[in-house]
Amino acid sequence: MNARIFPLAAMTAGILLVGAAQANNEATNTNPAIDSTGVDRARISAGTQMNPTISVILDGVYANFSREVEGPAGFGSHDHGDDHDHEHEHGLEEGFSLRETEISVSASIDNYLDGVMTLAIEGNSGIKVEEAYILTRSLPAGLQIKAGRFLSDIGYINRQHPHDWQFADRPLVSELLFGEHGLQDNGMQLSWLPSTSFYSRYGIEILQGETTMASQDVHETLEEDHGPRLYTAFAKFAPDLGMNHAAMFGFSGGISTSFKKEEEHDDEVELWEGDGWFAGIDAVYKYNSGKPFGHGNWIVQGEYYFREISAEFTEIENQIIEEQFSGRSKQDGFYLQALYGFAPRWSTGLRVDGVGLTNTSLEPGNDAFESFDASYRYAAQVSFAPTEFSRLRLQVNNYDYAHDDGDHGHDAWGVMLQYNVSLGAHGAHQF
Amino acid sequence: MKKILLLSCALLLSSTAHSQLRVVASTTNMAMLANTVGGTQVSVTHLAPPDRDAHHLAVRPSMMTALRQADLLVSVGAELEAGWLMPALQGAGNPKLNPGQLGYFEAAAQVTLIDPQPQADRSQGDVHPTGNPHIYLDPPRLARAGLALAEAMAALAPEHGDYFRHNAASFAEQVDTQLPHWQSLTQNAAGVLLYHADANYLARLLSVPVLGYMEPLPGIPPSGRHLSQLVSNLKGKAGVLIMPTYQPARAATLIEQELGWPVIVLPSNVAAGGTSDDYLALIKRWAQAFAAAQKPAGNPQ
Ligand SMILES: [Zn+2]
Repeated sequence: MNARIFPLAAMTAGILLVGAAQANNEATNTNPAIDSTGVDRARISAGTQMNPTISVILDGVYANFSREVEGPAGFGSHDHGDDHDHEHEHGLEEGFSLRETEISVSASIDNYLDGVMTLAIEGNSGIKVEEAYILTRSLPAGLQIKAGRFLSDIGYINRQHPHDWQFADRPLVSELLFGEHGLQDNGMQLSWLPSTSFYSRYGIEILQGETTMASQDVHETLEEDHGPRLYTAFAKFAPDLGMNHAAMFGFSGGISTSFKKEEEHDDEVELWEGDGWFAGIDAVYKYNSGKPFGHGNWIVQGEYYFREISAEFTEIENQIIEEQFSGRSKQDGFYLQALYGFAPRWSTGLRVDGVGLTNTSLEPGNDAFESFDASYRYAAQVSFAPTEFSRLRLQVNNYDYAHDDGDHGHDAWGVMLQYNVSLGAHGAHQF
Repeated sequence: MKKILLLSCALLLSSTAHSQLRVVASTTNMAMLANTVGGTQVSVTHLAPPDRDAHHLAVRPSMMTALRQADLLVSVGAELEAGWLMPALQGAGNPKLNPGQLGYFEAAAQVTLIDPQPQADRSQGDVHPTGNPHIYLDPPRLARAGLALAEAMAALAPEHGDYFRHNAASFAEQVDTQLPHWQSLTQNAAGVLLYHADANYLARLLSVPVLGYMEPLPGIPPSGRHLSQLVSNLKGKAGVLIMPTYQPARAATLIEQELGWPVIVLPSNVAAGGTSDDYLALIKRWAQAFAAAQKPAGNPQ
């Protein structure tokens, strides 16, 4: 037993023995079951003694697309007409695919720290550390520090793992502005929950900057700027709406001190050097009907982000600068989704995704970065969750993506059938 | 002058309000216990409305606000609220309430639990491996937890220790006084069909046989196959079906029609702000419901 807990436990045990003896004297003997022996009086919790908590998430999808879906214009890799691999959706192939298999371990390290680790085995492309962080549990005044690798607390969906999503795929804005895993990075976070009757939480993060806006995609010409390169801040507010309703509104933003990118094509090198920032708002509303198995419940959520990267672009061919200009890439995106529990254990949802409503990309044009049209995606899903540990989902997507050449005739349909189950500990679902 | 007097009155009031222990209870039964033991020295809020299934609740930001400001958390424990209380606690960042600290109290950890199922896996449903957590429907166990709660409160506010102990002891006394009365009510009770295994302690205490569960497995809603099996098992026997307030009545009507049994819908928690009297009255309603089906005369078991 932990030395810190021992005196307390011993004290509690003593107290309980006295209490038990007293209760014994006072005629509770009518029921022999109560006073059966063998109870561990030193217990603090009657819950599972399992520490660490371990859970495994299995996630698989069968997908079918009406045609090849190329990425939304302005967000993809710089296309020179080479033979690029165009993925359908992140990690989704036509037919059967195994998505992230998540292994999550969490435990209290001691009275001061919790530790959380989540490994993701991605299809067949190896093991990735999704999250590995320590979190303080004893700081005063509602302060918490998180350090390690974690999902940033910006926005609402960013910190959720895929099995918490209401749809099979990540919102486009999250994937395209922050990365295929959202804003997931190494660094530190300081957050504060003031002691007020109105919920609010504030935080700042110092991150290495591995993702898009602060990434250092350098090869032979450019040199990597050392980290940390990304600084973010967030604030969340939630009015008390009683037992049946809950809502939260968030504001977040960040500054990247360095963005670098280098692309080589035969004798030609293209370079981007600059910095950037982003800002976003998010809102979520939940209605709990009080009926069992989620029947009658509503969840409505939406987020919007704007990102700007100021960069100097240089094109070098055979050691001669062919082109050089400075410009600002300005891009944004949103999603809005609603989920309704239409029967016990059944829910259905609709989502609209839009990216590039402002869409000045990083693609070099004539002395300026090129602009493209907006892209949209529409999704509808039906889910059946037999228990809180398993879920089956059928989702239909309609892709209305703008294409690099300005052509809009690229509508496509996608159908996904997904299973998502968790083994082990009860899932702890944050708001 | 008047103004100053009013102001100082208000200040005095607010300062006495602050010297009270701030208690957050997971359910309204636990809030009742905290209020009964803490009396005037505590201010209690609850997180789960009484008409909800405490196994399944969604975390709300207001839970974290309440936990952030609390001195003491009083929960049922034994994993009953694990799915929502632990994340809410983590989100609240209040080190006083961490398990192991003085501000963390689980009622189920203070008593012996029945039906532990350490070997169980999830194919047997959402079982509670350390034992049945629903001790709040067992007045003697709840009274025992109350005695322990008095000590927990005394550790936080030693100046009121005797007051807490006295309150807890008189609640235990009330329970002891009522117990023979409840037991006399259920003397000839034929048996009860429960929706979930949440009244097993009370059924044991009052010697009422539990004839089955509407759930085929804990946490799984009644299936047609399970219900028809129940009907064929229980055909010809006497019994009563007790349904929770938060489950649809549809499945119950089948039992009512096929077996001709009375169906009684009962809450398992006192209303918000409920007192110990309300709790004892609730237990009496359960005892009366158990007694709604009597053993056939001249056929004592
Ligand atoms: Zn249960």
